[in-house]
Formats: sequence, structure tokens, C-alpha cells
Amino acid sequence: MRIYVTGYGVISSIGENVEETLLALKSEKTGIKQGRKPYTERFKVGEISWTNQELIERFGLTQNASRTALLGMIAAKEAFGEHELSSEVRTGLISGTSVGGMDVSEIAYKDYLKDESDDLNVYKNHSSGTTSEQIAQELGIRGYINTISTACSSAANSIMLGARMLLSGQLDRVVVGGTDGLSQFTIAGFRSLMIFDEEWCRPFDETRKGINLGEGAAFLVLETEETMRKTGKKPLAVLSGWANASDAYHQTASSPEGYGATLAMKSALKVAGLNPADIDYINAHGTATPNNDLSESHGIKTVFGSSVPPFSSTKSYTGHTLAASGGIEAVFAILALNKGILLPNLNFSQAIEETGLIPVKNYSEGHTIKHILSNSFGFGGNNSSIILSAV
Amino acid sequence: MSDLKENLKAQIIEQLNLEDLTPADIRDDAPLFGDQGLGLDSIDALEFIVLLDSNYGIKISDPNEGKEIFQSVNTLADYISKHQ
Amino acid sequence: MKILAHSYVCPKGTFLNGKLVYDTAGEENPLKSAYQQLGAEYPKFYKMDVLSKMAFIGTELLLPFFPKDADLENDLQLIFANSSASQNTDNLFVESYEQLKNPSPSLFVYTLPNIVTGELCIRHKWYGENCFFIEEAFNPVHFSEWAQMALNKGNNCCLCAWVEAKTNGEQECFLFLLTDSEEEAYSVELELSTLIKQYRNE
Repeated sequence: MRIYVTGYGVISSIGENVEETLLALKSEKTGIKQGRKPYTERFKVGEISWTNQELIERFGLTQNASRTALLGMIAAKEAFGEHELSSEVRTGLISGTSVGGMDVSEIAYKDYLKDESDDLNVYKNHSSGTTSEQIAQELGIRGYINTISTACSSAANSIMLGARMLLSGQLDRVVVGGTDGLSQFTIAGFRSLMIFDEEWCRPFDETRKGINLGEGAAFLVLETEETMRKTGKKPLAVLSGWANASDAYHQTASSPEGYGATLAMKSALKVAGLNPADIDYINAHGTATPNNDLSESHGIKTVFGSSVPPFSSTKSYTGHTLAASGGIEAVFAILALNKGILLPNLNFSQAIEETGLIPVKNYSEGHTIKHILSNSFGFGGNNSSIILSAV
Repeated sequence: MSDLKENLKAQIIEQLNLEDLTPADIRDDAPLFGDQGLGLDSIDALEFIVLLDSNYGIKISDPNEGKEIFQSVNTLADYISKHQ
Repeated sequence: MKILAHSYVCPKGTFLNGKLVYDTAGEENPLKSAYQQLGAEYPKFYKMDVLSKMAFIGTELLLPFFPKDADLENDLQLIFANSSASQNTDNLFVESYEQLKNPSPSLFVYTLPNIVTGELCIRHKWYGENCFFIEEAFNPVHFSEWAQMALNKGNNCCLCAWVEAKTNGEQECFLFLLTDSEEEAYSVELELSTLIKQYRNE
């Protein structure tokens, strides 16, 4: 049984919907800028310019919630689009997040300490699980709602679980993806790990120093063929492979040889029934930390040998959007499949000496792209790979 | 200098949650990182940077700088006495 | 599907298959005491957050019950869940940068719930799939669904856990090992809900 993607939606610093996102990708325009909030102003970040209140008004949202939930609602609404709820199509929602409602909790807590507010209702938005419930509510989905929190692979794992729920017949259609809003908490955390690059991040470059953080959300709608007969939806892509593996090395660092990454990529190929040579493009995890990119390069070389397909990290466009990244990059992959484009790895100039891998440097169209591998690796050594294929 | 080293050992044990150890278990010249030493890792190295800032007002902005400084209690004490 | 073994770790004690193995009631540091009684030599234990510490102890006790023929290195699936994610450590981390002005890297590391499964994989060299779910309360039906999906794709057994450390001090880790068998899923679900109730009341 094949799993089809019949809807997609995305919001990040490069665009507030799929169309704007494609334009930004085409024009090689990064969304990363000097931060504009008190806690981001010292860093280059992929911030979405609207405040929470502006997001609610601009996108006609019906709930006041955390940034994570609001961004999720926007992307999920776009993905669900013209889809209709019906009792004949059991529909679920699985969302990944790492910070949940942290952005509003931390503001409310400070106000509370200063005696400026005692609105305890704000904390109802805090739980990661609540963000998913709120996104589902915005779409009217009441059935199976679930939240995954596995750091930066959360969205990829949501996509994988969604596929399995369809295969096992537990659902007919499922909205899957991830969302994370920027918060002071996250900035402080990555600062403590000293893996920020104060300049624009340079994935897979010899001179890379670390990440730029970003925020955003993306969701896909997955359906089976049988469901599509009922909904009449046209497929955008096939979700053909997925896998998760543990790196079993360190809480935050990847193993030098990229063992978990290798396992995830190999297993996803196996699920898809494909050979490495069938992959036409890899959207790498490529966070631009010295550790990830070297480890992932080794993993890619182990899987693909001497014929590594075109690859790039699009985090140089969006910044690292953490739990949302696997969803955002899945949307990029679907665009690449359908438009025959190769996405550039912005800011690249010099290959990593040890591996010599050179990513896609410029945007180009007209390629025949049938299968794309997308990597998402999270802290905790939680490594996931998914494969999206042309219909 | 020996006071500084003794203080450092106590601070290292506390900050890095090395509850099995006492200051007497840490030799001045023993490697702190790697399998032969205390088995500390990259996160511990980052905690050392926090420790230097919080307790001694010394700021290290590049974690790579730490590699030389954090070799042993001796090198750490040496660095602190020169930079404080 | 059937339950091969189960353990429960909470401040008052550590239990294995329903029996109290380490009584830590009234101890100042119950998890440290349980770890010392366990006798495992793993100094990294002291660096872990509460979630990881509880899961570490509970898992060590379950090791003898893993199926002998299972390829644990590649095939063990970890399915963990709780309701408050890493809230307990999140608060400590916020304190480190709000009050102490220096965000603590060793605390930040544990501000993700799935570090728990990562720690277990590092300890036991498990390279299989692992996932962490956030749910309102322990739901045995979801666990059996997730486990069934893993067993369907060929995994031999699943290590499952409800591991929770709330900011109000409530702490528990209910671990159970599931494997394939003729037994119906609903009887496993019923057994799980009975077990957790018993553990909580003991």
C-alpha cells in the first residue's frame, strides 16, 4: 500500500505559505537576519516578523495560543486547505514540538514576578501536548491527536508514525508535521552549548562554526489510495520510505562516523525498496555545527559510496527550526520533486577537508527528480530519514 | 596555589556531579578528559567554561580554547592564576 | 502481545514484577540510594536528570528478562511517554540563566524528554528505533498500538515506559517489556492499567 501526500503547508522566515517559500528558494534569499527581540538581537536568526497577535489577525485564527501553536495552526490550515472533514474518513493529527508553549510562559512568568500580570490561563498553553490539541481544534479534527517530542527529528517522526497509522488501518487520513516558536529558553540553551555562529551559518563548509536558529512550522496531509477515492484529492508526492535509528553515542553530539545516521538512511531505503543510486537529491540535516556536518558527511559517504547524489542543507535559508525542520524540509522536497529543482546550500565556499563533499551551490530547474532523501537528526541520538518520491 | 587547586577540585566535583569522587581522588596532574582521566566529555568542558565565568570572572568565548586549559587541575589552576 | 516483565521506580521504592526490591521510603536522596543498592558502576548516572535516573534503574532490573534470542542491538524498539515532557529540568535550566546568569549546558541537555531514551541507548549500545510521546495521562491502548506497529515491522520486543517527573515532586517510572504472542492486545492493556494502579497505591 502506498502513502500519498495530498496537502502541504509551511511557514518560516522565508515565507508564510508554500508559494512564497518557493519564490524565496528560487531567488536564493535567506530568511536569516539579525534578531529583533531582546533575546535574539545578539544573534542571526530565522525569525518570523509578525507578533503573536499579528499572526492571529493576519491568518484569521480562532484561538489565542503560544507561538508554537499559532505557527502550527497556520501551516496545518494551509496543508488541510480544501480537505473536508467527514465521518467516513477517520482523520488524525500528529505534531512534533520541542518547546511547546515556552514563548508565552516565559513572558507571563516574568510579568507575574514583576506583579504586572497574574493571568494564569497563559500556562494552559505551556504543554507540548496542548499545542497539538489546539492545532487540531483549529482544523476541527477530533479523532486521534498525538504529540511527539524527540528534539529536531520530531516532525520526521510524526510523518513516519502517520504513515504507519495509515498502513495499519487505524486512520484513513492524517495531518503530520511539526512546529517550534523561538523562545528565550531555546536561545539560552544553544548559547550554553556554544554552537551559535554569529555570522550566517555555512552548512558543510570547512569554515562552519555553528547554527543560526529559526522558527516555523510545516504539515503534510497523508492519505491512502482508498481514502483518495473518497476525498477525490490529487497526490503531490508519495511518502515511500521512513526510518529511525539511535546513534547511541552522546546526549547531544553525533558519533564521529555517523553510525545512527547511516542506519537511518539505509533503513529508509530498505522500507522504500530503493537502492542508494535511485536517490536524486538529499536534503541533509546540515545544521552547520562542526560536529553534525562532519558526522553526516561520513554517514552519507558510507551509504552512497563514491557516487553521492546532489545534496544540500537548506538550513542556510530558514535557520534550524528544530522540531519543525523535518516538516519544512519535507515541503521543500515535494517542491523539488514536482518542479525538478535542486535547492542550494547557501553560503558554501569550501569543502570539508576530511570528506571533500561539495553540496549544490546554486538553484537550478529542469532536473528529473524521482526520489528525495530527507534527514532529520535530533539530540538524544534520535536519527530519522524519510524518502519522498514522485507520483 | 595549592588552595586554588583544592578549591577547584571541590568545585569540579560539585559542578559536574561527580558524586563518587572526593577531592583526594583527583591528582593535580591527572588528565580530566578521556578514558584514562575522569572520563569527562564535551558537556563537562562547557560546564568548566561556566565555572570559570561564575567563580573566577574569566570568560572563554571559543570552546576550542578550553582543550589546553582543561587538561588537568594543574593547567586549570595555572590559567586562572594568570588571568584573574 | 504479552508483557515479559515490568518495573516501577518512584521515591518510595523500586519494584520489579510487582515486588519491592529497593526500599527507599524516607531517604533523603531515594534515587541515589536505589542506584547504590543496584550496584551498577556507571558514574554518568549522577549527571542525569530525574527522568533518566529512574529509567536507568528500572531498565537495569529488566535486563535479565529480555528474550534471549532477541537482537537487542538492532531490533529493540523504545517507546516512552509522559505528560510534562522535561518540565522539571526546564525549570532548573531557566533558573540557571535567570538567577545565576549563566545558562548551564549540562542542564540544557536534559531539557528534551527523549534524552532519556538516548541515555539508555548509550548505556546498552542499542541502535534501534526510539520515540517519545507527550500525552495527558498514561494510556495503555496507545502503548499497545505503538508496540503492535513495531512488532508488525519485525521488531522482536519493545521496551515501553511511562516516565514522569512533575514540578510538584511527583515522580514515577513504569517500565514494561512487550513481545509478540497470541494474547490479545486488550488483555495486555487491561493488565497494564491494573499494574500501574497497583504500583501507584503500594
